[in-house]
Amino acid sequence: MNKIMRILLVVTILIMLPGCDYRILERIGFTYAASYDAAPENQVEIGISIPRADPTIDLVRELHSAVGKSSKDARVKFANETDLLLVNGQIRVLLYSEALARKDLSNEINSILRDTSISPLVKISLVNGNAKDMLFKDYKQHLSTDKYINRLLEKASTNNRIPKTTLYEFERDYYDDGIDPIAPILKEQAEDITVDGIGLFRGYKYIGKIYNKDVLLFSILRGKFKKGDMGLDLDSVRDNDGSHEYIMFTSVVSNRAVHVKHNANGPIHVTIAANFKGSIHEYIGDLKLSKDADRHQVEKKVSEILSERGNRLVKQLQQYNVDSLGIGMHVRNSMSYEAWKALNWSEEYPRIKVDCQIHFKAKDYGKIR
Amino acid sequence: MENNEKLSPFHTTILVFMIQSGVMALILPQLLAETFGTNGWITVFGFGIIATVNILLIAAVYKLGKGRSIFQILEQSIPRFMLIPIYLALAVVWTLLGCMAGKEYILIFQMYAFPTTNPMEFKLIMDLLVFWLLTKGLYNITKTSTIFFWLFIWMVLLAFFFYSDFNWARLTPFLFKGGKFTYLESLDIYSSFLGYEIVLLLFAYTNQKTKLIKATLIGNSVTTLTYCYLAFITFGVYSLGQLKNKAFPVLEMMAYIRFPFMERMENLLFGFILFTVLFSILMYEWCALEMLKHIFPKLKANFLAFMLMLMCFIVAYIPDTINDVGDWLSTLSMIECGIAFGLPLLLLIVLMFQSMGSRLAHE
Repeated sequence: MNKIMRILLVVTILIMLPGCDYRILERIGFTYAASYDAAPENQVEIGISIPRADPTIDLVRELHSAVGKSSKDARVKFANETDLLLVNGQIRVLLYSEALARKDLSNEINSILRDTSISPLVKISLVNGNAKDMLFKDYKQHLSTDKYINRLLEKASTNNRIPKTTLYEFERDYYDDGIDPIAPILKEQAEDITVDGIGLFRGYKYIGKIYNKDVLLFSILRGKFKKGDMGLDLDSVRDNDGSHEYIMFTSVVSNRAVHVKHNANGPIHVTIAANFKGSIHEYIGDLKLSKDADRHQVEKKVSEILSERGNRLVKQLQQYNVDSLGIGMHVRNSMSYEAWKALNWSEEYPRIKVDCQIHFKAKDYGKIR
Repeated sequence: MENNEKLSPFHTTILVFMIQSGVMALILPQLLAETFGTNGWITVFGFGIIATVNILLIAAVYKLGKGRSIFQILEQSIPRFMLIPIYLALAVVWTLLGCMAGKEYILIFQMYAFPTTNPMEFKLIMDLLVFWLLTKGLYNITKTSTIFFWLFIWMVLLAFFFYSDFNWARLTPFLFKGGKFTYLESLDIYSSFLGYEIVLLLFAYTNQKTKLIKATLIGNSVTTLTYCYLAFITFGVYSLGQLKNKAFPVLEMMAYIRFPFMERMENLLFGFILFTVLFSILMYEWCALEMLKHIFPKLKANFLAFMLMLMCFIVAYIPDTINDVGDWLSTLSMIECGIAFGLPLLLLIVLMFQSMGSRLAHE
């Protein structure tokens, strides 16, 4: 029997080996980033950036672009322009221009979701301006642009400058009936790229944006927030007597709770209570932080300012009619399934009363008293 | 020779777990979401209990039959020429079931990892592996299954990766809302528990020390808990609509795992699932082989095993799309559900007549 086994093994190996689907790394084009722009006649312009690691040529990356009906259609076009075998397995960043996102991204996103080779961890971002131009431009003091954007987004989301928005999160929030998806917006600024704000979606349609200064607050209200830096002018609450009061704190740990109250004949009342702790890194003003009373005064002031700004932010979201904070999820969980289904959330959402209660606590205040 | 070696309880538990967990686990959360809607993961317990009831039915056979193999029980009361068609039918179902489970896994794996390779090449290698294990006999199979179990079970720890994205609010407080219940789909869900019925054929390989029934029950509980944990995590990580829309949610979840030094490692992880899928296939083929041995007692077991795997390989050519294979698998699983409940019932009836007969003889 052993002999038969051995013969079988040999035969299998002989059958298998010629069928080997061998691939040479240098001849494969691992698309690293792709851009999507609106083109005339409902078409899309796709740009891709492929890193090259060939020592014989002085080229860091290869760029291709084409206009087509869909991303896969355009892909066929640039597959003809390159000697590389194009694969999608290592895509890290997808950039969509605001103009395209305003129309609808459902075709683009669905085509990506269907592709088994694309990771759910691919980052989704909007671009203020032309996405292709941003991707194709070389920024002098940075890495090759595709890697630069990838690391920028990664850093910004680990530092909670922006919420994490990978394909997984984007899709998850799209399908959840109690929250709307979001995506960061990037902008070209002279020789750099910066985060411009957060794009708010309804379905796969881009509706409006939150500007950079409110992004951190937005993250706090959305929940799951570990650290970040925030600077605040404290002058706005008290009358300006010429002295300038400014505070900067970091390493914020926050928890958020959403309380929903149903009133018999009024709108639904939602309270977002967020507690967060931070270390004060900078304080310009007359109060002494080592004194408990003084510090509490500062804490109170910060809480007041943030709560007020939070309320303004929620109003703005209600005006856009996008539930990017996921309030709907909590409203849904506070009622019966039938009542939730009977409630038209997108109609009800602009009408509900939302109250943000943000409490700030200074964990420590650095080396000086 | 192998009859001298009896199974140990630990090996049996693991063997049962390895047979039960298989390719259906990859689709299970999606089926649960589709069929039961919100919090569908809870129903896994229900299915586990049904399986337990079925195992207790088998336990009754084991007890009343006093550890005799089902062949001995049947052949005592029913003439052989009547049994041959039953054996043959069972052999065909089990061969096909193993064959289709294998093809399904390969098609899924190939779609993700090797899109340009011919799936039948993988199938050939897999069938060879199954063939080699088949020729080694049951005792060695269980020992191998223990090794493969450890190679596979560590993957449960990967669930920790999803704790940060797990959200209780996403589970919703609603119980079974938004799903579309159909009997067909729930049978599909139940088919992911199938495999325990194979212990019917293990009677001859056990003795008192094996504690066959207890081991099987524990194995089934391990499967239930693993499935439940898996489904629970999936329901908390994905939103319901998203889960309904995913063809292979478990594979997709694996793609979400990444290490600082490595991204896109899911293809590596898919390979590990092979270990448990392999045992589902192997044990169904083993059962079919047992049947064949009784139909053709004169032929050599290894020759039968070879013919069996050859048939298995050839039949796998027929359905070639993932949907076709899924349909075959559904139909076969449905028949298998019937066998899982029907065969012990048949045996119980036979045993009842036998005990009545013996009582009459005594009187």
